[in-house]
Amino acid sequence: MIRLERITKTFPGVKSLDAVDFEANAGEIHALVGENGAGKSTLIKVIAGAHRPDAGTIHYDGTERRWASPRQAKEAGIHVIYQELVLFPELSVAENICLGAAPRTALGAIDRRSMREKAAEVLARLGHELDPAAPVRTLSVADRQMVEIAKALVGRTRLLILDEPTAVVSGREADLLFERISKLRDEGVCVVYISHRLEEVFRIADRVTVIKDGRIVGAHRTADLDRDRLVAMMVGRQLDDIYPPKKPPPLDSAPVLSVRNIRMPPRVRDVSFDLHAGEVLGLAGLVGAGRSELAHALFGSMTKESGTIALGGRAFNTPTPRGAIERGMGFLTEDRKAEGLLMLLDTAANISAPVLPEFTRGPVLDRAAEIRAARDEIARFRIAVPGPQSGVRTLSGGNQQKVLFARWARACHRVLVLDEPTRGVDVGAKVEIYGIVRTLADEGVGILVISSELPELLGLCSRILVMREGAIAGEVSGDAIDETAIMHLAALGERRAA
Amino acid sequence: MAVPALNLPRHGAGGVDPPKLVVAALLLLVIVAGFFVSERFGTFRNFMNVLEQSAALGFVSLGLTLVVLVGGIDLSIGAVVTGAAVLLAGTVGANEALMVPMLVGVLAAGAAFGALNGLVSIRTGVDPLVVTIGSAALLTGFVLLYTLRPTGAVPIWFEAFAYGRLFGVPVAGLVMLLSFLAVGLFLHYTPLGRAVYAVGGSAEAARLAGIRVDRTIIAVFAASGFFASLAGLYFASRTGIGDPRVGDPMTLAAITPVVVGGTVLGGGRGGVVGTLLGVLLISFLNNILNYMNVSTFLQWVIQGSIIILAVSLYVKRSNRL
Repeated sequence: MIRLERITKTFPGVKSLDAVDFEANAGEIHALVGENGAGKSTLIKVIAGAHRPDAGTIHYDGTERRWASPRQAKEAGIHVIYQELVLFPELSVAENICLGAAPRTALGAIDRRSMREKAAEVLARLGHELDPAAPVRTLSVADRQMVEIAKALVGRTRLLILDEPTAVVSGREADLLFERISKLRDEGVCVVYISHRLEEVFRIADRVTVIKDGRIVGAHRTADLDRDRLVAMMVGRQLDDIYPPKKPPPLDSAPVLSVRNIRMPPRVRDVSFDLHAGEVLGLAGLVGAGRSELAHALFGSMTKESGTIALGGRAFNTPTPRGAIERGMGFLTEDRKAEGLLMLLDTAANISAPVLPEFTRGPVLDRAAEIRAARDEIARFRIAVPGPQSGVRTLSGGNQQKVLFARWARACHRVLVLDEPTRGVDVGAKVEIYGIVRTLADEGVGILVISSELPELLGLCSRILVMREGAIAGEVSGDAIDETAIMHLAALGERRAA
Repeated sequence: MAVPALNLPRHGAGGVDPPKLVVAALLLLVIVAGFFVSERFGTFRNFMNVLEQSAALGFVSLGLTLVVLVGGIDLSIGAVVTGAAVLLAGTVGANEALMVPMLVGVLAAGAAFGALNGLVSIRTGVDPLVVTIGSAALLTGFVLLYTLRPTGAVPIWFEAFAYGRLFGVPVAGLVMLLSFLAVGLFLHYTPLGRAVYAVGGSAEAARLAGIRVDRTIIAVFAASGFFASLAGLYFASRTGIGDPRVGDPMTLAAITPVVVGGTVLGGGRGGVVGTLLGVLLISFLNNILNYMNVSTFLQWVIQGSIIILAVSLYVKRSNRL
């Protein structure tokens, strides 16, 4: 269906694709996997005509093609569904599906009835039941995704590219999605599927191509691979090395953070715990258990109703972000784009933001010192960025996260709260981030890790608090740590019967 | 080695800044056209006159640039300009001894009024657009309760601010240029200047990085009030009297150079160099249109067209990314 030969694409300073060969057939689901920044997005954009390759050829449907524009590729039947869905929330399902291809009446007005029929027909072909008249804003994310796929079907799509479609939906919705795209495959559509989640790749893909640093590592039938081998291909190392060795926390020392009876309705009802210097303490729980809210209450970015906090042995009962930072506490938020990075500023400014006074001589910023410091951090955390003065907006998720780690490693010496530290980050960057967490703990920082990925908490922490409905339901530590024990506490609020 | 300045947000990806280039090109075009329009255009004297006449617009749009950079807007500028002129002329009158204290007092009052705009917006959560419409109406109401016609007086020596020349260079124009320089340096080289851009990009991310967002917002509104009252002083100096209508056109006038200069409504991108180029563009344009005896109303038409044309160019460019 599609065959790329020796495609090369260079951006200023970066060779994004280096003589890449790629092939996907009609009637197959072909997974494309690789770390962030490996070149997946560039590859898709070349296929879809959004980037013109510097060298190499594209064969589509048996003939060599050179797309002059994304539109031309689209007319040829190539449809890309990006992570951010492009739908109009106020318009109906049918209007969204038929957008730009709406049937007209004899007078030239939009023929609503046949539009609805057309939409219903496409949805039926997908096997997905939706009211074509419902406004898109009333739909769940999963249903919206189906609308996107339906849009693709209106245009007789023969090559469908999905960019991390499950990043935004939950388990059951993902199952539905897999079922639908398998159906399309059986109808002869070529589906190229990009994902970080390896389980998915094995579940639905017939073949998988691994890309790393702009080169193809290999293309295999999924039946011939196993998980470890795939990870090894992606990262270039073995799976055992993912988590750094744990160390027993020095629990006999005075706690660096001591929290008593924190209350912040409706999400946080009553939380008390101690965190020790050098400890990596996990905070597990279901989504909505109040973990992020607790973190915000400790950092002072939300106002708690009652409860006491002691930071470094001193009372810190009316926290503000500024006050927390001055006392050596940092907070890496869950949403790095909205609550983390200063998207319009450069890397150096992002790293120095909480400690800007350190780079101030009299009333004036010492920009040279700031850049020097940023250069050190970039080297230390191995951030793939052209330089301290480059923007952070275009960095990959993993590198953006490393910029934030560089920021907080510099700013905080007592406590660092990490809320979903590896969300949207690829395997390679995860490994590096785990290493950073360990290093910071070894330097004596007390670290509180909130994560929805249990294996991550299991791999990192020697003690895990389980939060449920705004309170600590229990604690597991040492040998007692296992997934079932935690899930019991998180979901039921009780310990599993021994 | 030169110290690299803060790498400020740009529209494009490369090293050029399209809005600044566009507005600089337009300015050049207007100046070149000026030489064809009138032989008196190209004289040192005329250029200095243009500089002098651009002072008030320069002050107000400079203050507004800061507010727009944090993502706000200040629609009370015209009211503050009027308020400052009337307050100064009304209180000083024949009592010359009051003049120097009142100059300081009026500027402080302007800054305080601006700071209050910021504070109210923060505390109530009401958009500054609405807060400043309200505070403008309030202030204008008080001024008109006090006087309906031009009132008071300022000492004759104060004329030097609006009409004085230093080595042939107008004092007002000089003050304006120095103000731009000061604010430009402040934005590039101080922590608060950095905070302005950070808050404009994302207030929430800035707050969580420990930046004092509230203080930053209050500071830029105070600056806007300060520069608006400086423009009021300029008008009092120019006319020698406190005119309760003098600031009326200034609010909207202030927006033009800011936007044409590439500072994005919504915050985070832009700067004072673009605004200064925008001020000069408008001033030179009005200057040559005056030489051509074009009516004031047609001048508005031309100004309006330039705003839309210039900004549409920037939008296209940034979309091309």
